[in-house]
Amino acid sequence: MAVTHDVPPQLDELVSTAHRIREAVESVVEGKSDAVRLTLTVLLAEGHLLIEDVPGVGKTMLAKALARSIDCPVRRVQFTPDLLPSDITGVSAYNQQTREFEFKPGPVFANIVVGDEINRASPKTQSALLECMEEHQVTVDGVTYQLDSPFMVIATQNPIEMEGTYPLPEAQRDRFTARVAMGYPEPHAELEMLDVHGGASPLDKLQPVATTAEVRTLIEAVRGVYVSQPVKKYAIDLVVATRHSPDLRLGASPRSTLQLVRAARAHAALAGRDYVIPDDLQDLAVPVLAHRLLPSVEAQGQRRLPEQVVTDLVRRVPVPETRAS
Amino acid sequence: MRLSVAAAVATFCAAILLYPLFEGGSWFWGTLGAVLAVLAASMLSGRLSLPAWAAPVVGVIVLWIYLTASFAAGKAWAWFVPTKASVVELARLLGTGWTDIQRFAAPVPANTGVTLLTCGGVGLVALLVDLLAARMRRAALAGLPLLALATVPATILADPISWPAFVIAASGFLGLLLADGRERVGRWGRAVLVRRTTRAAAPQPPGAAGRGARAAEHVRETADTRGLRLSGKRIGFAAVVLAVLVPAALPVMEPVSFFTFGVGGRGPGAGNSISIPNPIAGLRGQLELPEQRVVLSYTNSDDKPRYLRIYALDTFDGEQFSMTERKGSPDNRTEDGPLPPPPGLSRGVPVSNVVTDIRISDEITKLSFLPLPYPPRQIQVDGDWRADVSSLMVFSTRDEAAGLEYKVSTSEPAPTSELLKSLPHSRSDLDARFLKLPDDLPPEIRALADQLTKGARSDYDAAVKLQEFFTRTGNFTYTLETQGHGNSALKDFLLRSRAGFCEQFASSMAVLARLAGIPSRVAIGYTGGTKVGDRWVVGTNDSHSWPELYFEGVGWLPFEPTPTGSLGQGSARVPAYTVPPPDSVGDSSTPTPGATSNSADEPLSPQGRINPRQLDREAALQPVGLPAEEPAPWPAYVGIGVAVLLLLLLVPAALRLLTRGRRLRRLDGAGGTSSKPSRPSKSSHPSGPDGSDGPDGPDGAGGPGAPRTGSGAGVRAVAGRRPNVAAVWAELDDLLLDYGTERGTSETPRALARRLAERYEFDADSAAALTAIASAVERSLFARSPGEIGPMRQDLRTVRRALAATVSRGRRVRAVLLPPSTLRRLRRLGEGLLDGFDRLESLRLRRAAPKGS
Repeated sequence: MAVTHDVPPQLDELVSTAHRIREAVESVVEGKSDAVRLTLTVLLAEGHLLIEDVPGVGKTMLAKALARSIDCPVRRVQFTPDLLPSDITGVSAYNQQTREFEFKPGPVFANIVVGDEINRASPKTQSALLECMEEHQVTVDGVTYQLDSPFMVIATQNPIEMEGTYPLPEAQRDRFTARVAMGYPEPHAELEMLDVHGGASPLDKLQPVATTAEVRTLIEAVRGVYVSQPVKKYAIDLVVATRHSPDLRLGASPRSTLQLVRAARAHAALAGRDYVIPDDLQDLAVPVLAHRLLPSVEAQGQRRLPEQVVTDLVRRVPVPETRAS
Repeated sequence: MRLSVAAAVATFCAAILLYPLFEGGSWFWGTLGAVLAVLAASMLSGRLSLPAWAAPVVGVIVLWIYLTASFAAGKAWAWFVPTKASVVELARLLGTGWTDIQRFAAPVPANTGVTLLTCGGVGLVALLVDLLAARMRRAALAGLPLLALATVPATILADPISWPAFVIAASGFLGLLLADGRERVGRWGRAVLVRRTTRAAAPQPPGAAGRGARAAEHVRETADTRGLRLSGKRIGFAAVVLAVLVPAALPVMEPVSFFTFGVGGRGPGAGNSISIPNPIAGLRGQLELPEQRVVLSYTNSDDKPRYLRIYALDTFDGEQFSMTERKGSPDNRTEDGPLPPPPGLSRGVPVSNVVTDIRISDEITKLSFLPLPYPPRQIQVDGDWRADVSSLMVFSTRDEAAGLEYKVSTSEPAPTSELLKSLPHSRSDLDARFLKLPDDLPPEIRALADQLTKGARSDYDAAVKLQEFFTRTGNFTYTLETQGHGNSALKDFLLRSRAGFCEQFASSMAVLARLAGIPSRVAIGYTGGTKVGDRWVVGTNDSHSWPELYFEGVGWLPFEPTPTGSLGQGSARVPAYTVPPPDSVGDSSTPTPGATSNSADEPLSPQGRINPRQLDREAALQPVGLPAEEPAPWPAYVGIGVAVLLLLLLVPAALRLLTRGRRLRRLDGAGGTSSKPSRPSKSSHPSGPDGSDGPDGPDGAGGPGAPRTGSGAGVRAVAGRRPNVAAVWAELDDLLLDYGTERGTSETPRALARRLAERYEFDADSAAALTAIASAVERSLFARSPGEIGPMRQDLRTVRRALAATVSRGRRVRAVLLPPSTLRRLRRLGEGLLDGFDRLESLRLRRAAPKGS
């Protein structure tokens, strides 16, 4: 076998815990190991995930399965056009017994928040959620409430259901660490799904395999993963390449660099490495960068999606010079 | 504007080729001025958008004004506006220049007339080049006037043009062609992409591909001429290098004069003239003429052949002998009675008075010197002929000798050996120029002179020994094929080749005589010729050169170092008094038929036998003279050539081996420090939580339990510092290239390992070795501490074998003999060089940009 080094002890626990979570989630979502892995990566990178696909491929199932396999508070918000910001953040209500305004926390006060069909809400409501995502805090009536850690928003949106939707503006898409497309399951996975889901929902049988504290430790361990200078430079090269590509109208932001490296740390840790290699960045470039980019008119004319552009860029940008060490 | 400048530069570069024709540098600055004047005119007419026909007119006017201001300012109005007087003055100067050029041997003194002529000529060429290149846009055609300029020295001088001068001239013309090409492409755009410079194509680190694309867009707008410039430079550079190197590499490349200036017609319709403008250059030309042509004929009172001298060359500049300016005052006219007395001849020396009737052939042209026996006392000739006091050359500034018939009486000194031996060694009244030698004369020649004249009791003894050296003991051979002039040529003749014709013999003996303290000069003229009927007939093949040595009391005496007879200058004869006296030579006394001799001494045959004593002397010479090179047989040359070619072909392979050896040594050096005894060969952990973990489990073939190659021998590890895995990585890169695959720029180590293992279906060992290398590289580059790294030499070997097994035999052989990795490195070196040139050029352009072009 190729690995000639041992997995560092501090990552030992991480790898096994992550393995347990993945197995638990995959027992519910069949044949989507890439999406599951990415979801876990985003969780450990303290980011938020945008799941985009046609209805009925298991977006909500994935979000719920992840939430259930970790023993932590999970809230689900179904976004509708008439949803108000206070429906998310919570309201101060007058308590007649105490004769005081009392804060009633909204669904955002949880470790994992599942926002279903996020693009159906009005921009005002969307932005309320996105503010929480970025700052990990909620301010209602001048009082700031800290959100618990870990805090992860898993939002789903339907790309083709244009009717009655408010597409997420670029600025708000930028806050999601990664976007994943579920895709239709393989036939054999679908068959298995029929067998398993035929009786009861497997979600009900899912038992939590990790605690919040454990996840917090994992996140701490991920923060300690080493990123060498050449790899940082490579990350910057990749991001800068999107800004200069003639196929893109809007390149990736500095925030995306930050999130790319953070996600790469988690990716490396999940692989049992305590250092990031360019391969991590290459694997994550499309999910982390593509949803932030706007294709140019020419690229649109050629029906080139941002995903393809990013793939091309990854193929073109040279990896850190491996000679001059 | 660019074209005008390029045309001016090209003209001036070609004009530099004229340097061997002149003495002094005034012509250089004058020529530069003329070229600049034409350039100014060209730019003026360009600025005023004058029609094409007007440009040369403006050019001629500006050139005229320039010449007037430079050469006839005193006669011009306001120093530069031409007046009638200034025109007359210019014409007069041109006339003198013309006659000077006709008269003097190159290098001619660059006096005003000659300089004017040169400046005017070069200015006209510059005009023509500018007209063709800048106005008519026929840059290639502009090469013709430049070529005409370049052929001037080539035809006048027997020497080949020195190669640096040629390179300069060629570069000038190339520059013109390049400028023309760039102008054209700049205007019409480029049809074919010739070369993308690495600067334009390579993605810069931060900008990556995006900036490259943007730069390309920018370039498209202004029609990039970089590629053109570059290929132009390449082709031009290659052409110049070939032009310089190929003639040098060929075994024998004699300069052949295409235009038989000064040598007389050779082919049909070439005119029946023989002119002698340059004594030295003319000499060989006449000797080489395939058919003999009659130059003159004579009769004399004692019916003996005599050398007829035309020129006496008295100054030696290290390259060749030449004439100082002649002093012939009107009172030395031949019609005014006897000539000045021969210098140095005292009354006590017996003389023989001879009267000679000479008739010069009608075919001779441009000969303004009279061929005369030495020393002439009185001449009866028509025309304004004057005698040079010191050399007794007789010349005219107006008349020519063709068809002349004249009578000359000479008083030839007839000294005996005894008399000459007893002469004193004092010559207080003689000009020092007859003893002057350049300072940079090679010391070997001085040593040779010292050795040859060792033990000589008098000047005469020394002179005789010198002549003996040339005719007998030195093993000289007579040949018309010689190379060049100069110190090196002199050295080569005296010490190495020992082959030449009369010019070399005469000059060398004159130099050696000066070294021995005997005043000397070189005479050029004709031998006595052959008797036809009752007249002595002298032809072109009798052209000759011989040294004259000065002895106080006797004056100038000719010597004859050139081999005579069938193996030498056929009609040359050895003067009787130069024959070594019996006491120094011994019993050799073979008479020479037809020797010029008024004395009783019997002359020696030049091919006389060498007695034992002379052999001894020759042996004593050996340390000084290098042995003549044995000509190797031609198969040896071919063999050597093939061997050199093979060696050259092996250079890339050798370089590759050297590189590999260096890398492996670095590897060993890194592995050798602070080694640990051993380690468990495998981590017990799986690579990732699940089996589908791509990045960490690149090899499906190896598997966790597969033993690692080389680990059994005791894995050495390097802790504490980064091991030198860069060497392995570079070596792996080169290996891939050699075996026909290549790592992509965005391919990471483990991606590469995965790809290779999948594509070539490596066996477990090879895949493991490859992965081990990739992993080591990855860790040493990206991990906080690289951890343990095994000995990769073995891994490298395994990978090499695995790679070699994937390709054909031919490819394997090529990978060893002509490794593409080394070839690529060489190519990059070359490209780097060219990029450097490009950078230089853009530097220049940027500075010139504000002026606009």
